[in-house]
Amino acid sequence: MDLTLTPEQAEIVTSSAAFLRTRLPSSSLRQRLDSHDEVDAAVWSAAAELGWFALGLPEDRGGVGFGLADEALLFREIGRSLAPGPFLSTVLAARIATLAGCDELAGRIVGGAERVGLVLGGGEQGGVVRLLDADQSFVVALSPSAAALVAVDALHDVRRVRCVDPASSMRRATAGELRPVAIVQDEVDAIGRRGHVLAAAMLTGIAEAARDIAAEHARNRIQFDRPIGVHQAVKHPCAEMAVHAERAFAQTAFAAVAHDEGRRDAEFHATSALVVATEAAERSTAATIQVLGGMGFTFEHDAHLFVKRARVVARLFGAPSDHLAHLLTLAPAE
Amino acid sequence: MDLAFSAEDDAFRDEVRTWLAEHAPREHRPHDLQAAREHDLDWQRRQYEAGWAGIGWPVAYGGRDLSLTRQLIWYEEYARTGLAPIDARFVGLSHAGPTLIGRGTDRQRADHLLPILRGDVVWCQGFSEPEAGSDLAGLRTRAVVDGDDLVVTGQKIWTSFASVADWQELLVRTNPEAPKHRGITWLICDLHAPGIEVRPIRTMDDGDHFAEVFYDEVRIPRSNVVGDVDDGWSVAMSTLSFERGTAFTISQVQLSTNVERLIELARSHRSVNGRPAIADESIAQRLARARADVAALRALTYLNISRNAHAAQPGPEGSMLKLEDARLNQEVYRLALDILGPRCLELVDGEDDTYWVERQLWSYAASIGGGTSEIQKNIVAERLLGLPR
Repeated sequence: MDLTLTPEQAEIVTSSAAFLRTRLPSSSLRQRLDSHDEVDAAVWSAAAELGWFALGLPEDRGGVGFGLADEALLFREIGRSLAPGPFLSTVLAARIATLAGCDELAGRIVGGAERVGLVLGGGEQGGVVRLLDADQSFVVALSPSAAALVAVDALHDVRRVRCVDPASSMRRATAGELRPVAIVQDEVDAIGRRGHVLAAAMLTGIAEAARDIAAEHARNRIQFDRPIGVHQAVKHPCAEMAVHAERAFAQTAFAAVAHDEGRRDAEFHATSALVVATEAAERSTAATIQVLGGMGFTFEHDAHLFVKRARVVARLFGAPSDHLAHLLTLAPAE
Repeated sequence: MDLAFSAEDDAFRDEVRTWLAEHAPREHRPHDLQAAREHDLDWQRRQYEAGWAGIGWPVAYGGRDLSLTRQLIWYEEYARTGLAPIDARFVGLSHAGPTLIGRGTDRQRADHLLPILRGDVVWCQGFSEPEAGSDLAGLRTRAVVDGDDLVVTGQKIWTSFASVADWQELLVRTNPEAPKHRGITWLICDLHAPGIEVRPIRTMDDGDHFAEVFYDEVRIPRSNVVGDVDDGWSVAMSTLSFERGTAFTISQVQLSTNVERLIELARSHRSVNGRPAIADESIAQRLARARADVAALRALTYLNISRNAHAAQPGPEGSMLKLEDARLNQEVYRLALDILGPRCLELVDGEDDTYWVERQLWSYAASIGGGTSEIQKNIVAERLLGLPR
């Protein structure tokens, strides 16, 4: 038992963080916001070339052969960096297409030619389903027992709506029967569960980024002749953020490894990870705005972008209350 | 990263589980403190005779020097017996003993370590004072050198098991002129020495193992100084490096077990309007959240132990474990009260529900003893995040 990173895992963290920092800084996100073109195609291709969309696919199916634990480390960096783009749903789509034997589609997704969005979890609301990042041809749709790829043009009344998160594109569509072009049952491969763990990883990265922004401000902002971080009213929320981030990381790592090792309680741990990481991200991003004061409330500062991204990622696969309810139906952890 | 235990470690777990199943005391731990002392020491003796004493202590001092992973396994299995996580053996095994191992003289180690492991003696801690809690370095109990002795006058408070203890780790001020951290000495105090008075303190959970201890010109031989005179603060700090992540394992496992018991209770217990408590959406959500939180606490424990296994010194991450342990103890037992409904107002010996009421009353101490949650947050913010003091 060892939850520290191997040297190879540490390298995944370092290299993906460096790529994101140089190719997808938050300034580039802002430049693209008004253009409704959140994803830089060249950067997306570069990510594909790094193997990001095939990281967890088996080597004999054209993948890198890494585990969910390694993918989780990548997605933690994606969360931390606020990188725009459907990385998570595209990774799930690559897996669905590959395991369903749709080799041509899998190749386009893995190669970066096809970005895939997501049908937002939680079911329809008043006859409406919501699609995230459905800018191209396909979306991932999860059911309680399977993961599928659906063609966007098989949906009706698809119309764009503005998302609270400026870096996510959102659409509404009329609910109807979704006919999959590819489908993988959970008992063959628990793809939905991988999505939960990767979402938890993104939320962990967001919580860590928020913590670091708040701590830096607390160390450097001078008022009444002293850094504001000397006061416990500022110091303690920062400490709480550190605890939230650490718990989120620990439980997400545990869940990813539990999945890779085929533990019977993998579902319990994946659901717990999403619950804990959601709370970490939501509380930390809110607390960071408070520590920042007036600056935190501006559009110009990145703090609100973390709030909004956390809100979206926490709801990719259903409402937070859905995950709590699901957790209670499962057998206890082992 | 991996969660797998080796085949040898799994075999070790089986061995521990089997031994504990056969030998752990079955009778209830007595309420009366003197009887509890005998009960605890008898249990320690039996562990010693079977080779289970001092699992984390060096072999040279009678221990088994087990790996951190095996210590984790021992504590996980111990927690499953349901035995009290803290009893009269705690200070000797986890605090005084390790301090003597780290900073004691050969004579002090020879005199005291084996009796602790064998279950011959009980130790207690004389650190806090009425005017020195979180600011421990502000302690005032005075010790004056007089020939071969130190003469001690003052008072300690919050000393668990003092009324049934043989020895005490005692922090005293030997140099009032020096800056406060530099005039402190760590002493081995014989509690049977003349001039010592122990007064029990009743706590809000009806516990009586707390006490105040008064010292009126108590003579303690110089040979009982651990480390150097005036260097006691560094001796006290050295104890902390012995704790490498396993301190809260028993608490964490028992919390997990209790969350599952509460889920069962909520499913079976009819609330006032005749529905099971779990039909209440807010109770169901709090139970689910408790499941996620105790899972994360275990993951945090594993992460901490993993790091400490690679590190020379434990880091400030241990403070995060204590913070979470305290917070969850308080949340889980408060949830228990809401599941119980009006029965949470009663204390009836022998009734199952009383267990939850007693645990909840105890839980107020979880964020205070051993370093308050406020101090832990200061440590996390200052040492991990670099915030200014």
